[in-house]
Amino acid sequence: MLAFLLVLIPWIGLALFLLPKAWVKAGAVVLAGVEVVLFARALLAPLGRFLATVDWNWIPSLGVHFHLSLDGLGLFLVGLATVVTLAAVLTSPRDRGAAYYFWLLLAESTAIGVFTALDLVTFYVFWEVVLVPVFFLLGGWAVGPARSTALKWLIMNLFGSLFMLIGIIAMGVVHAQETGHLTFQLASLAHTTLVPAVAPWVFLAFLVAFIIKAPLWPLHGWMPPAYSDAPAPVTAVISGVLSKLGVFAMVRVLVPLFHVEMSQAEPWLMALAAVGLVYGAELALRQKDVKMVAAYGSLSHMAMMALGIFTLTQAGLVGATFYMVAHGVMLGGLFLILGWYEEQTGSRELRTLGGLNQSVPKLTVWFQIFALATLGLPGLPGFAGEYMIFQGLIQSNVTVAAVAGVILVVAAWYMLRLFQGAMQGPRAAGRPPGDLTTPQVGLIGALGLLVLVLGIWPASVTSHLPTLAPAGVHQAAQAAHRQGGERA
Amino acid sequence: MMHFLEPEIVATVGILATLVAAMLVRPRSTVPYWFGLVFSAAALVRALTLHQSTHLYGGVVLGDSYSIVVTVFTLLAVMAGLLLAWDPERYGAEFPALMQLAGVGAMVMGFAGNLILLFLGLELLSLPLYVLAASRRTPLGGEAGLKYLLIGAFSSGILLFGAALLYGATGSMTFVNFTAVHVVPGLMAAGLGLLLVGLLYKLAIMPFHMWVPDVYEGSPTPVTAFMAFGTKVGAAAALLRVLAFGFSLSAAWWGLMLGYLAVLTMIAGNMVALPQRDLKRLLAWSGVGNAGYVLVGIASHNVVGAQAALFYLLPYGLAILLAFTVVRILEGREEAPVTLASLKGLAYRQPWLAVGFLVAMLSLAGIPLTAGFIGKFYLVRGAIAADQWGVAVGLVVATIVGLAVYFRPVQQMFAPGEGATGRFTVGTGIVLAVAALGTLFIGIYPEPVLHAVIQSARFTWLH
Repeated sequence: MLAFLLVLIPWIGLALFLLPKAWVKAGAVVLAGVEVVLFARALLAPLGRFLATVDWNWIPSLGVHFHLSLDGLGLFLVGLATVVTLAAVLTSPRDRGAAYYFWLLLAESTAIGVFTALDLVTFYVFWEVVLVPVFFLLGGWAVGPARSTALKWLIMNLFGSLFMLIGIIAMGVVHAQETGHLTFQLASLAHTTLVPAVAPWVFLAFLVAFIIKAPLWPLHGWMPPAYSDAPAPVTAVISGVLSKLGVFAMVRVLVPLFHVEMSQAEPWLMALAAVGLVYGAELALRQKDVKMVAAYGSLSHMAMMALGIFTLTQAGLVGATFYMVAHGVMLGGLFLILGWYEEQTGSRELRTLGGLNQSVPKLTVWFQIFALATLGLPGLPGFAGEYMIFQGLIQSNVTVAAVAGVILVVAAWYMLRLFQGAMQGPRAAGRPPGDLTTPQVGLIGALGLLVLVLGIWPASVTSHLPTLAPAGVHQAAQAAHRQGGERA
Repeated sequence: MMHFLEPEIVATVGILATLVAAMLVRPRSTVPYWFGLVFSAAALVRALTLHQSTHLYGGVVLGDSYSIVVTVFTLLAVMAGLLLAWDPERYGAEFPALMQLAGVGAMVMGFAGNLILLFLGLELLSLPLYVLAASRRTPLGGEAGLKYLLIGAFSSGILLFGAALLYGATGSMTFVNFTAVHVVPGLMAAGLGLLLVGLLYKLAIMPFHMWVPDVYEGSPTPVTAFMAFGTKVGAAAALLRVLAFGFSLSAAWWGLMLGYLAVLTMIAGNMVALPQRDLKRLLAWSGVGNAGYVLVGIASHNVVGAQAALFYLLPYGLAILLAFTVVRILEGREEAPVTLASLKGLAYRQPWLAVGFLVAMLSLAGIPLTAGFIGKFYLVRGAIAADQWGVAVGLVVATIVGLAVYFRPVQQMFAPGEGATGRFTVGTGIVLAVAALGTLFIGIYPEPVLHAVIQSARFTWLH
């Protein structure tokens, strides 16, 4: 029930259209705040079955259930969605109008739907509806060629997801032919085996959809314009929350349904992610635009999560899931900071900036904390996630682990280059920009606190995660894993 | 037995009553429109409360739940057409009777179990539409009427020739007597082929679609709206009926052929819709593409496919009615052409109109939580159950093209600029509200409608 409420409440945002203009933002803050409170309720006290799950026989004629559940895997990503959306709503300008806030809330609702869905069609419905609010956010409020940015986002993502729809229906139809019972419940479909002629194609359909949504190299074409042209709060939501949909779906859907295909294709998948890892880092190093450094850095981080998932080991999967949550908070915060930075300086060009650390000490401090967290400093959550992913990588593929190790160094390089270029060095000419206001410090301080908690106490998340690694895959690695006495 | 075909009878009596009323009242009176609307509504209520399953004269007249569904869809189209055209000064007193007559034609196609009856229904549907298509006294209107008449007569001739060959091959005109052959012999194959071509013309399947854009553009918008929904309902219903009842055993033959045509129609129809600037032409091409979607269900030649084809007519019909209603409102009484540029800034000028149009476009694009998604979902299921993977992929490719088609007008609505502003009337307002709410309702909670529709197309012998 709680999961359903979390999905439902943002839709009350429709009422924002009825409010007087001055009250719209306050209304949106209330709704986003209620979401955070609901998540806190789910986190702090154990949920009974009634609160945790809804499983309604939605469309019996099609065998579709409306099945949402706040389980250990999705719980923290739901939390991520609520927190980042609240931050995004709080940092948005007051005069944006009801439509903007409604679309922002709707993006939250559909993201939570994806994180909690346990029926493939329910999953697909949210997966696809999430495109609509972002389409309007990009089309309506992005700078530059907003219309083509929005259309690119929509068409690329739908390209992937519509083929996935064929895959979903194929799973259901095959299951029905085997058992005589049409269903799309993930738990039932996990026992369905497709014929060998079809299985790789269906697997590919799912994989491509997830890769596009994440995005991972080489299907990230929609990402650069979307991240760079969207207003900062929208970028924070896209990079912090929505980019996690793709990698989360790999853990939720791909691993249980296709672990056989995944382990067969593992070298290829690893190679794909490794190339993405290098590519993103390399491009981040070359960017002259502060936002694009973070955007390509994020592309590289997504590849790191994908690597963790493709190991199919418990450590890798747990690490990837933890990294999703941590990365969402870190990147969300980082993009908000960059947004304020741009607001104050009027520029995003690294070359024209610099030396701000004297005039804006508060901005500098928080910028530094988030930059260090993102580059994986021990004690901060980036490190904990990467550590677990490395553990999985060493179990399954040492070569890729070595590549990833090199990239960690590059990651430190591009983040420090960003910080240095923007904040340190000689003062750029022009009027000194203003520092963060107290409300801004409060907000970013809260996010920073969250980052610290995640960094110091990763078990706050990982201890909730269920066994993710599929049984029967990498048995040798699993055995070694157990001998090592590692706590999962 | 006594209730048999009552909705159709009510509708037919309604035509006569409307004609008489039109003769008795002043020319500018709305009374004939009221007659048409009330009798159509009465027929609709009767159809919704009727449970019939009677096959008369050895299967010549098939009054079953399938024909009821066809009747309901047709009556929705007729009523929408009447409400959109609620302007006696412009459309004249004979408009309602002609519209109802066309509707009855589509209903006859729904219960026809015999080629003669099928032909009768087809002509009853087409003849009034030839007149209505030409009722706009502009060069475009004349072009539309003439083109529709010539192509229509041509396709009727083909269909009739096919029927004659089938009669020659089997000695019967009744669908159920055709069956019981796995391999279609030459004469019968030729007959079936020509029959299909005749019906595919009406359904506007490529390559038999050339008339559609010009006729849709030139006809008055209420007529276009009816044509886009009602004509397709009649043609698709008859096509599904004749194939399922007459040729179920030779399904592998025609299923394959129709599958190819469906893929061609879906993809090419949406592709050509992409560069259109005139909204009516864009919707016409989208109608071609959507006819391809319906054909996917028929080509699957299994129960799920048949159900999907019948069901898809409703989401499509509601969405296209909605879109044409927006065109009707924006074009105003002068019937000025509505282009994509006319939509500029609509979201800020007339937000409710924009919401209605947005719902139509989302549904046509097949976004979840609208009816169009449920329809496409079901169609893909039918194609996969029939092992027609290529058709399923074709549908998906067409849908991706369709996205670009349907989201371009949406972007125009939110773009800054001065476009057209229209005035709601009571009639257009009703159609807009009912179609939009229906689309959303079926999208969010499809079970009641879905169940009712698919139960009536349980042609279980197909698989």
